[in-house]
Amino acid sequence: MSHLLDRLNFFQSKRLDTFSNGHGETTRENRDWEDVYRDRWRHDKVVRSTHGVNCTGSCSWKIYVKSGIVTWETQQTDYPRTRADMPNHEPRGCQRGASYSWYLYSANRVKNPLIRGKLMRGWRKLRATMNATAAWKALQEDPILRASYVKTRGKGGFVRATWDEATEIIAAANAYTAKTYGPDRVFGFSPIPAMSMVSYAAGSRYLSLLGGTCMSFYDWYCDLPPASPMTWGEQTDVPESADWYNAGYLLLWGSNVPQTRTPDAHFYTEVRYKGTKSAVISPDYSEAAKFGDIWLAPKAGTDAALSMAMGHVILREFHLDRQTEYFEEYTRKYSDFPMLVRLEEKDGKIIPGRFLRADDLQGKLGQKNNPEWKTVAWDTKTKALVSPNGTMGYRWGEGGEWNLEERAKGKDTDLALSFIQDGDHDEVLGVDFPYFGGQATENFVKCEHPDVLTKNIPVKKIKVGKKEIMVATVFDLFCANYGLDRGLGGEWVADDYSKDIPYTPAWAEKITGVPADKIEVVAREFATNAEKTRGKSMVILGAGLNHWYHMDMNYRGIINMLVMCGCVGQSGGGWSHYVGQEKLRPQTGWQPLAFALDWNRPPRHMNSTSAWYAHTDQFRYEQLGVDEILSPTAPEGDWDASLIDYNIRAERMGWLPSAPQLKTNPLEVGKAVKASGKSAAEYVAEQLKSGQMEMSCEDPDAPENWPRNLFVWRSNLLGASGKGHEYFIKHLLGTDHGVLGKDLGEEGGRMPKEAKWHDKAPEGKLDLLVTIDFRMSTTAVYSDIVLPTASWYEKDDMNTSDMHPFIHPLQAAVDPAYESKSDWEIFKSIAKKVSEVAPEILGVETDIVQLPLLHDTPMELAQDQVKDWKKGECDLIPGKTAPNYIAVERDYSQIYAKFTSVGPLLDKLGNGGKGINWNTEVEVQHLRDLNGVVLEEGVSQGMPKLDTAIDACEMILMLAPETNGEVAVKAWHELEKATGLEHAHLALPKEDEKIRFRDIAAQPRKIISSPTWSGIESEHVSYNAGYTNVHELIPWRTLTGRQQLYQDHQWMLAFGEGFCTYRPPVDLKTIEGDFNTEEGQPHVVLNFITPHQKWGIHSTYSDNLHMLTLNRGGPVVWLSEEDAKTAGLVDNDWVEVYNANGALTARAVVSQRMKTGTIYMYHAQEKIVNTPGSEKTGIRGGIHNSVTRTTVKPTHMIGGYAQQSYGFNYYGTVGSNRDEFVIVRKMKKIDWLDTPLTSSEAAE
Amino acid sequence: MLMPLKAISALLSYPSADLQAAGDEIITALNVDLGQGALLPPATLHAMAALMREISDGDLYDLQESYVGLFDRSRTLSLNLFEHVHGESRERGGAMVDLLENYRAAGFEPASSELPDHLPVLLEFLAMRPLGEAQEVLADAAHILEALETRLTRRESAYSAVFAALRHISGVTADQEALAELLAIEDDDPDDLEALDEVWEESEVTFAPDPKAGCPQVRDMLAQMDTPINVPSQAAE
Repeated sequence: MSHLLDRLNFFQSKRLDTFSNGHGETTRENRDWEDVYRDRWRHDKVVRSTHGVNCTGSCSWKIYVKSGIVTWETQQTDYPRTRADMPNHEPRGCQRGASYSWYLYSANRVKNPLIRGKLMRGWRKLRATMNATAAWKALQEDPILRASYVKTRGKGGFVRATWDEATEIIAAANAYTAKTYGPDRVFGFSPIPAMSMVSYAAGSRYLSLLGGTCMSFYDWYCDLPPASPMTWGEQTDVPESADWYNAGYLLLWGSNVPQTRTPDAHFYTEVRYKGTKSAVISPDYSEAAKFGDIWLAPKAGTDAALSMAMGHVILREFHLDRQTEYFEEYTRKYSDFPMLVRLEEKDGKIIPGRFLRADDLQGKLGQKNNPEWKTVAWDTKTKALVSPNGTMGYRWGEGGEWNLEERAKGKDTDLALSFIQDGDHDEVLGVDFPYFGGQATENFVKCEHPDVLTKNIPVKKIKVGKKEIMVATVFDLFCANYGLDRGLGGEWVADDYSKDIPYTPAWAEKITGVPADKIEVVAREFATNAEKTRGKSMVILGAGLNHWYHMDMNYRGIINMLVMCGCVGQSGGGWSHYVGQEKLRPQTGWQPLAFALDWNRPPRHMNSTSAWYAHTDQFRYEQLGVDEILSPTAPEGDWDASLIDYNIRAERMGWLPSAPQLKTNPLEVGKAVKASGKSAAEYVAEQLKSGQMEMSCEDPDAPENWPRNLFVWRSNLLGASGKGHEYFIKHLLGTDHGVLGKDLGEEGGRMPKEAKWHDKAPEGKLDLLVTIDFRMSTTAVYSDIVLPTASWYEKDDMNTSDMHPFIHPLQAAVDPAYESKSDWEIFKSIAKKVSEVAPEILGVETDIVQLPLLHDTPMELAQDQVKDWKKGECDLIPGKTAPNYIAVERDYSQIYAKFTSVGPLLDKLGNGGKGINWNTEVEVQHLRDLNGVVLEEGVSQGMPKLDTAIDACEMILMLAPETNGEVAVKAWHELEKATGLEHAHLALPKEDEKIRFRDIAAQPRKIISSPTWSGIESEHVSYNAGYTNVHELIPWRTLTGRQQLYQDHQWMLAFGEGFCTYRPPVDLKTIEGDFNTEEGQPHVVLNFITPHQKWGIHSTYSDNLHMLTLNRGGPVVWLSEEDAKTAGLVDNDWVEVYNANGALTARAVVSQRMKTGTIYMYHAQEKIVNTPGSEKTGIRGGIHNSVTRTTVKPTHMIGGYAQQSYGFNYYGTVGSNRDEFVIVRKMKKIDWLDTPLTSSEAAE
Repeated sequence: MLMPLKAISALLSYPSADLQAAGDEIITALNVDLGQGALLPPATLHAMAALMREISDGDLYDLQESYVGLFDRSRTLSLNLFEHVHGESRERGGAMVDLLENYRAAGFEPASSELPDHLPVLLEFLAMRPLGEAQEVLADAAHILEALETRLTRRESAYSAVFAALRHISGVTADQEALAELLAIEDDDPDDLEALDEVWEESEVTFAPDPKAGCPQVRDMLAQMDTPINVPSQAAE
């Protein structure tokens, strides 16, 4: 058989071959089916954008768009390369970011402008017969109409509005408020300008033109570490994440890098491959803990005890028993160790007092300019006192000697660190140091040591006329403070780590629970590495430490370690604080845009913590007495007052800003000033002195002093960040709240002395709450007007971050969905409306603006002594002993014209920041050429246009040294005048570089080195803070010009924080009261902590179904197995968590990860998601902030004192929230409260 | 034009004074004979008329508040159909693109700020298509329509009539399995605590049916390894 017919002659099978045991086959066939996949991934365009969220990632993403719809995103991988031997930055971006495009079209988006129905009804009715401002006036003056919408806040009832109508109501409200109470009663809150800086600037520019108040966020979020301004005169300046790779030893302290810094975490992994050792310090077994070569788990809140013990070991082994050459050289040049401190007698005791200043000496060491701001040291070369270069006195009023050269009066010096050697000191004296370890509550370990520890110090005596001054070096006092025995005899010092004396490792073991030998090992390794590498030991730390009431101690303990080991300012070393970063790299280009400095100066800035503390009436519930935190060594003074009283004093003396400022409408004050023919400052000073005029802070509950309008944009103020959430709801908003405790009046507590008390606290202070958001957040739910904003793939904007040196665009890949508009367009439209509506009642007005004593201006030398004019201790001199008062002209019909053009003041007054100012006429001209000029007649004719968000980006980029090399060179030259040294080499190679918006759209760009920041960008080092201080000898902006480890302001000494100490968490007394009904019932009392979560877009949202699914689908709290047992709980039980501040409901996650005694609730879970009603309050269970309340700290109010002077988001009170305790119990009944309101409830 | 669909599209839009005034017009349109008698049965028409009356006679602000509360603010009642199909998944963008292409292929360009999957948008489009096609599209969405109807009925909202009508037009009974799935996922009965717990419970990872039997994939792989290599049937090919 030929098999001819069995074979195909003209065809072959499509099947060619098989493989893998027949599981696979090779065929030839039509491949059309592949088109399905091709089409699936087909797109029309790819646009670069990022997420303008409160997350420091600022990661580059490719946004894919098909038929005008965003379909998906993928990570960009075209970052500029790093240098050889460094890993590249990419891939950046995490799974949470990758899920964003899914949210873009979510049902949670706000689609149209929404207005509370009851407000709309009243408005339309009145508006039919009246003009806009008259209608708003009538609405506000009718108590029933006002209450009809105020009391339904948070209860639904929205209707849609047109943009025209919504902006008209807002404009009418703003104009009415300005006219009736003053423009400073219009508040605006928005956080993190670094992330989508134009969106931030849109609102703040509008407010600044109006005369409204821009609220700070960094201090309010408690992410601002006040220890940073105290030590360095800088808000926060930190290494970029790439610099972790240069470290030889890495301490992760209360920072959960893999979870909260996901796109940067790879550097941490990579450096460990290189051989770097890492210790992780975290009370819980966090995701970071597994990266540690060693894991220390101190009791939460006792970090300062741990760092003090480590400092004790470092001092003993590297500074005393053996003097490490590098550490000695570093601390002599770059720290205040050699500076002299006066020892003062008080009741027969000796306490450390102020720094010795040239002014204290006869002849003032030849210093005529600012001798009271020039600290003094002992020069071993000349055996004489000298005023070393670089102290704050040299910064202002003269030039050339504000530098860190080891010189004084032109001669080389060799400053003495210590007087320990015989012959160097005249006497050894016992000096008192406060000790707070005995104040611990029952939840912490209490020590039996006395509250004052007297330790021996080598002292030098200096004759001044007939008087004798006793002085000691900071270093000698510092060592004594750490409890180190130096052979001087006396008590409370140890020569052995195992002695139970404060700050030995054995002592710390008792308090923290960390074994003493582990403390020694980590300290020794940290310092050994720093010695061998000249400072490449780094500490990454975060919110875990900073959110405590005594965060300064937690931070200063660590900063001390870094300075002792010469790590700050060295590549691969230093202080890496990563919480709520706020590195707006092109800051000086952005400020004129954001605060309308091109049109009028100064803007109104306010520190939010103090404002909310007063205006949400949290002060009325204050349980923390000043006597509980005052030092036993406090100098004489009137210390017996409430915390709010301290804040009032601070505002009065010009230390902190005020909002509102004066009880009288500042526009009325403006008229009176004009009529008087005097200057604003002169007139207001007279009125304040005579008592004719009052500052608003003295009576926050008087209706004249309420904030009336509040804008919230890019923020969930009431949700994620409203410490004392229930107080916001009760007093500011006036709707159903869950406050359980009583105020001081009802309770008969200690009343404030200076704040006027009203028996009945106001409820519903705000006339209008406007939230601008892309999603229905907790804040939006409580608002009167919600405006839909463009999200991150729908607008043009820019981001910068602390974590990497690139400036990155956000771009409108698609038009804003539904009716939404970008923040820039929204505020532009409000500006337009207000320009039309305001002339009904406002014309060209003179607004009297109150200005506190600002850091980085000559005003920081205002008060070297604390004197209160109101108590007659000094005269009221505006700008010196009190805030300054400045007249600003506002034409309310021109707000839109000014908003959309670059104003004339940049040409006239120049631009600058951080104490440097330069001429910028060239840049303004370049902007005219680039953006075009305004052609319409009027105030803005001929000025550069600021029409679109891209125009605004170009303004920032053009004016900032970081993005315009020509400006950078100018700025460095300006700094050279003060330092007398050459710095321009840092920017000269990039003088011709100008970064434009389209450049960063093409690829993220690295910024140019500028004097605004203390780190540089170069081919040799990664960005690291303090670099130019150490390598360019530019002083830190502190009193001593050095890293200042001793704080000598009177209030710092009064509160016992001249030196770092361990202070246990304070007792907020929130679990005592008749609301606590747990006696005999199973429950547990735990410390309440709110770390950042894994399944959330930072603090922005977590209500994406995927993230909810990956987590537990609703609010959860974490607790330990042991605590769960105590309370009779098992995993997944519904629990109620409550205290005097309010209640929240959540599911329990019972985990071995947790340390006993602590409960975690991840930050920013919202009550809009799966939250049942609380049995305690009867209303929907609250959020993580429902059980918190802000408590302010007096030392954060200090002002007019070198580095301790006010700056927006730089210094001020901070909203700590980790000292809270809560009661946790199982819920008996779950009520979802999802039936509609009955009409009687709604009407109530 | 399929007037009843056009009318439903209008009826399901944000309440306005125009809509309030258009009661008669809408009722007439709902009753238009498409050549096969009335599209909707009398009971449904009656319920629709009741809804229309509620709108015509109601206070506009109350109507708007209630509409925003239902359709803008409640995720489970979203009028964006793909919310119920794709939620926040990656497929959603692509699905919307496909729908948009359909509109364009038929010669229409969307002129509203609503997304393509917004139900009133889709209905207006279908009103301009042949009845068969409209029914086919609605049939695909039948389980969503029924789920929305069920939820609205529970809330005692007259809008449930609209979904009953659409379901009727589609001419099919919803796939009960898909419907059950939709209602099961989203519908947590506030009073039934055990059911509530089930929704949030994390399922135990088991290798069913016999937890001790090990992973089925691994078992199959092992079984495959037992098969001799030179299988005669393969050699013959």
